[in-house]
Amino acid sequence: MNPFATRSSGYQWIWPTSAMALVLGVMLTMAWITAQTRQSRFSELPTDVRDRLNSASLDFQGEYFKVQQELKSLRESFGELREENTKLQNAVADQTKSSQLLNESLQEVKTFAGLTEVEGPGLMITLRDAKNAPEGLGDYAVIHDIDVLKVVNELWNAGAEAISVNDLRVGPHTNFRCVGSVILVDRVQIASPVVIRAIGDPKTLEGALDLPLGVLAEIRQVEPAMVKTERVENMRMPGFAGSTKPKFMKAVPPKG
Amino acid sequence: MIFIPFIALFVGIALGLLFNQPLPGIAGTYLALACVAGLDSVLGGVRSALESKFDSEILVTGFVSNTLIAFGLGYLGDQIGLNLFLAAALVLGGRIFTNLSVIRRYGITRLRDARARREMLNQDAAPGPKP
Repeated sequence: MNPFATRSSGYQWIWPTSAMALVLGVMLTMAWITAQTRQSRFSELPTDVRDRLNSASLDFQGEYFKVQQELKSLRESFGELREENTKLQNAVADQTKSSQLLNESLQEVKTFAGLTEVEGPGLMITLRDAKNAPEGLGDYAVIHDIDVLKVVNELWNAGAEAISVNDLRVGPHTNFRCVGSVILVDRVQIASPVVIRAIGDPKTLEGALDLPLGVLAEIRQVEPAMVKTERVENMRMPGFAGSTKPKFMKAVPPKG
Repeated sequence: MIFIPFIALFVGIALGLLFNQPLPGIAGTYLALACVAGLDSVLGGVRSALESKFDSEILVTGFVSNTLIAFGLGYLGDQIGLNLFLAAALVLGGRIFTNLSVIRRYGITRLRDARARREMLNQDAAPGPKP
């Protein structure tokens, strides 16, 4: 089809289109000026509408914070109760020789399981996010759950007898996870700096961590100041404050 | 004559800059969408002119109603918690692309027409044996 076959319309389209272009120009400039002066579409919405659009995430965050606080206070009282329990066990055991022996082995098991407050010599490792990391390293400049996990694993391997992370005792079921920008130790939030303490032979522990290409070498590559190790003559750490009640497993009675 | 809409556009931009007044409140946020609707209408006008089926009433009502619908859709979307803003932006953006491509095709056709016409005239004027 030849677009110039009919010339009946001529140039009559020019003026309406021009008028619209004029209005469009004004609108564009106004939109541009408005865009320069406002933050986001959300901030302009009425409060109730904004709340509704945001409500899911906001509710969740508030609730999560409350639960975290509750968890912390519960853990504290848990530790106290466990100490009380030990005292009672000792009192009962005072009566006869056999119950005394029984109690000794019980306390030994409890100490091994990390349920009691302990003290001894060891190593203190402080991991913190890089402050002056080179541009573009991004993720590597931050301490992750996996870093904590690797250090703890290496410490167990080097013969550590008790380990705590930010004063949370590492027990048999302790897990390290990452949610958003926080590290969770047994579902309790911790943040940089992460202080890992281990009871054991300080020299052996330090040597194991400082191995070439070891766990700390990787972090030190980003920035040496991210890692600090310190031998300690004597330190105390709290008992494991989580639940120890099994739901599914049962001890098998000895044969015979 | 072709350039008058462009001149009008720049005069409009200049007026807006002179006015220098941000649209307050929520209306300002939908203005961007209205702009896209307006751009679509203007290009649609040019296209229909090139297609020789220009109708000023359809064009002007289209401009006004598209702008208002874009405005209303953005508002409705925020009220019911669905981002209809994007739906309108997507459709209008697609139409702008279509209109521009049609305009481009007509421009190229016109250029080729002119070239062919010139060649024919040159052949007519040139002395010598005709094919």
